[in-house]
Amino acid sequence: MSVVETARVSTLGRLWMNRQLRFACLTLPGALFILLFMVAPLMSIVVFSFWRTESYNLISDWNLDNYRVLLGDPTYLTFLWRSTVMAVAVSVICLIYAYPVAYLIAKHGGRYRLILVLLTAAPFLTGIILRVTAIQHILGPIGLINMALTTFGMMPIEALMYSNVASAIGLVYLWVPFMVLAIYLSLLNFNFELLEVSKVCGARPWRAFIEVTWPLNWMGTAIGIVLVFVPTLASSVTPRFLGGVDGALYGTILAHQFGATGTWALGSAMGVVLFVLSLVVIVGIWRAVDLRRSGFTGEQA
Amino acid sequence: MTAAVLQLDGIVKAFGAIKAVDRVSIDVGRDEFFSLLGPSGSGKTTLLRIIAGLETPDSGRVLINGEDVTRLPPYARRLGMVFQDFLLFPHRTVAENVAFPLKMQGAAPAERQRQLDWVLDLVHLSGLEARFPHQLSGGQKQRVALARGLVSRPSVLLLDEPLANLDRELRKEMEIEVRRFQIELGIPFIYVTHNQEEALTMSDRMAVMNRGMLEQVGPKLELYEKPRTGFVAAFVGSANRLQGEIRGIEGTVARIDWGGSEIFGGAPAGAVVGDRVNYFIKSERIAIAPAAAAPMAEGHTRLAAKLRDVIFKGQYSDYIVALDGGSELVVSGPPALEGLKPRAEVVLHWAAEAADVFAAEAT
Amino acid sequence: MAAVNPGERVMVGGQTVMLLLLYVFLYFPIFYVVYLSFMENSVWPFPPEFTLDHYALLESMSDFHEGLINSTLIGLGTGALSALFACLAVVGLLKYRSRFRAVLTVLYMSPLFVAHILIGISTLMFNRGVLGIPGNIPSTILANTTYGVAFAFLVILAQLLRYDWRLDEAAMVFGARPARTFWEVTLPNTWPALLGAFLVSFILAFNNLDISFYNLGAIPTLPTIAWGTLRHGVKPELYALASIVNALVFLVLITLYFLLRTGLVKLGHRD
Repeated sequence: MSVVETARVSTLGRLWMNRQLRFACLTLPGALFILLFMVAPLMSIVVFSFWRTESYNLISDWNLDNYRVLLGDPTYLTFLWRSTVMAVAVSVICLIYAYPVAYLIAKHGGRYRLILVLLTAAPFLTGIILRVTAIQHILGPIGLINMALTTFGMMPIEALMYSNVASAIGLVYLWVPFMVLAIYLSLLNFNFELLEVSKVCGARPWRAFIEVTWPLNWMGTAIGIVLVFVPTLASSVTPRFLGGVDGALYGTILAHQFGATGTWALGSAMGVVLFVLSLVVIVGIWRAVDLRRSGFTGEQA
Repeated sequence: MTAAVLQLDGIVKAFGAIKAVDRVSIDVGRDEFFSLLGPSGSGKTTLLRIIAGLETPDSGRVLINGEDVTRLPPYARRLGMVFQDFLLFPHRTVAENVAFPLKMQGAAPAERQRQLDWVLDLVHLSGLEARFPHQLSGGQKQRVALARGLVSRPSVLLLDEPLANLDRELRKEMEIEVRRFQIELGIPFIYVTHNQEEALTMSDRMAVMNRGMLEQVGPKLELYEKPRTGFVAAFVGSANRLQGEIRGIEGTVARIDWGGSEIFGGAPAGAVVGDRVNYFIKSERIAIAPAAAAPMAEGHTRLAAKLRDVIFKGQYSDYIVALDGGSELVVSGPPALEGLKPRAEVVLHWAAEAADVFAAEAT
Repeated sequence: MAAVNPGERVMVGGQTVMLLLLYVFLYFPIFYVVYLSFMENSVWPFPPEFTLDHYALLESMSDFHEGLINSTLIGLGTGALSALFACLAVVGLLKYRSRFRAVLTVLYMSPLFVAHILIGISTLMFNRGVLGIPGNIPSTILANTTYGVAFAFLVILAQLLRYDWRLDEAAMVFGARPARTFWEVTLPNTWPALLGAFLVSFILAFNNLDISFYNLGAIPTLPTIAWGTLRHGVKPELYALASIVNALVFLVLITLYFLLRTGLVKLGHRD
């Protein structure tokens, strides 16, 4: 019985035998897609940031005006600073709140782990507008809290209406699920028995946390921080609806460039600055992760 | 001699700097149960995967029934294979698992059913067609894996340590069953294992591999009785391994000093006085008797020892003896010899031809 | 693991309280909005006066149906493309060795770290200026797929890490060509992951504002309609809209849960 005549193998089949080729065909389509539709556009706004806008059109008149305005005018810098402070604050709040929660689910969740985690992640899927709407209607001047207070004859809380506090609350509301998820996934692979060992060695709970839990989960924590920091830094919708007149953040101004004023070139420059700042933070956190001290031995999955 | 069904010609396969398979050439005939024996890392599994088409060799050829299939993908080679972890498809019933190769070959449903019934009957699994793998015991899973490998009547069946995950009782049973299948079907089985007892039980011919290279190929008795390298002597059968220095050579017999004792063995080719040698004596080839009782012939190794322990194994016993100077030997003999109790003085003796002697490699 | 000593029990207790508070924090606004959508008085809806007027008003809004269809289209397109790219990529990365594995993994996850607004404005300008694509539904699908792929990638990767790829090898030895192997062996054992990835990408694109807004301009989607309504002060129809979308998300999540559960159970049979 001839082997060859019973199995017709096309040239395509023979090509397929090449493992490198198979790998490339599978992984390249998506990679090229991301390069073309995310990386290339990002690089293009770098180009555009050196151009000019004239009557709603981008003119390729290379100049540094946009950056001069951005970095020279204190207004823009103030917004950038405000956004950075907000992002840091929100990240810290999310971190402090998410860690114990993720810890609880990972360590004590048992077979309810999946449900508990999905429940924390679920609100994220409902979309930004609806979540901001919901928060606004609870925090706002005629929102639930303040209406309840006035109905019962008490003073409404100023800070909750159209303020940076409201923005912060809103941003935490939006992004805390990411932090919980990131830390949770890291803790899933964490060997909790190491804490028992440290206990035997005489470490008290807080010490054990600092010396064992935190370092070994730093990678996941770092990812969580970045996942919260980056969108918060860029947020435009939330501060617009919760922040009030004085609550505009960098993202809001950035969005404005693409709205009524049509100043795309300036907007591009703003986008570049935002992107660079995000990159700096990401790289900074990346450098802070010493892989070996985070417990990774480099074994392949 | 029947024409070879499977031919491997100069197969070389390297992963990075490590040569997993180093110039291996083997022929397997139609009715042979052929074992690839070796320790883990010896390259035997890699070689099997090359035959199956799951790896491509760097150089060399694989021929099945005379056709060069080296570059053919696995699905074109029409082989059967049985895997160590069974690898049954968890989402398919027993019947669907077993019929899978037939389905891939496009056999008609009636034909599929016929083959299915035949092979399930062969492996004694009739009646379990509708079960899923997770509902089966280890032994049943193994038989499903076997059935799946045999159902399309392949030219060759490849087996990758299929019995390693079974418990001892089951393994002994399956060794006989698998052998029976091979004889009944008359197709060559290529059986990879690290268990030399298993290989000796089941095969006709064997190849011993070590670090990618073939140490020896041949009928199993030949590998057992006449090992050609020290590795084979140590790996096949249970042998005592001694190291010594040649003190004198008379004809073909060498007189060797082993830690103060004098032992005799066939001199390796080209050996001279002063050479260091590796000396192997199989435990069943040492005769053991109470002291002062044994006769001696010229050239016979005769050693005095003290019996340290007797390990009763049912059909035979292992006698652990200690010599002056601390060395120990394992002797296999009749289960309960008269006068042989721990701490008895004993005499060991064997003929020079009973030992396998090889020049020691410079370390 | 049960809490062992009093100190630990206190800690677990505290964490549980935090978790419950978190759920309240996350879900109360959502449920309150649903409640409001059925209330006459949306400012101080106590005592409750039930009405369906807001939903009726929503129905009659001219944009509503169009927005719903557009959002659904965007979601479906993004979900399908994302799941497809991510599935291929994960299979390739898990099955084959290559020195590019690390780089490619980082690339696939990189969209998670880029703000949506950046993706929105950059794709808007790039598509129009460089590629010459006008802002429309297909271009929005493409823009949304950038981060959709990243999410799909994570969902599929998490599940496929547990898959025994040697099953594919076994199938190949028994005569299945690569495509057939995928169809007969890989897919039946991994479809929950793929469907889950599709659903996640679908929902995210369905609800996406920043990217769709910039790429579509005047073409309505549910989020942009909501945005428009929000700009003119909160109107009760918005609550009705929110409730409908939340109901949809809820449905998707239930499906997702059962898919992930099946995936865990199915793939748990790997020894």
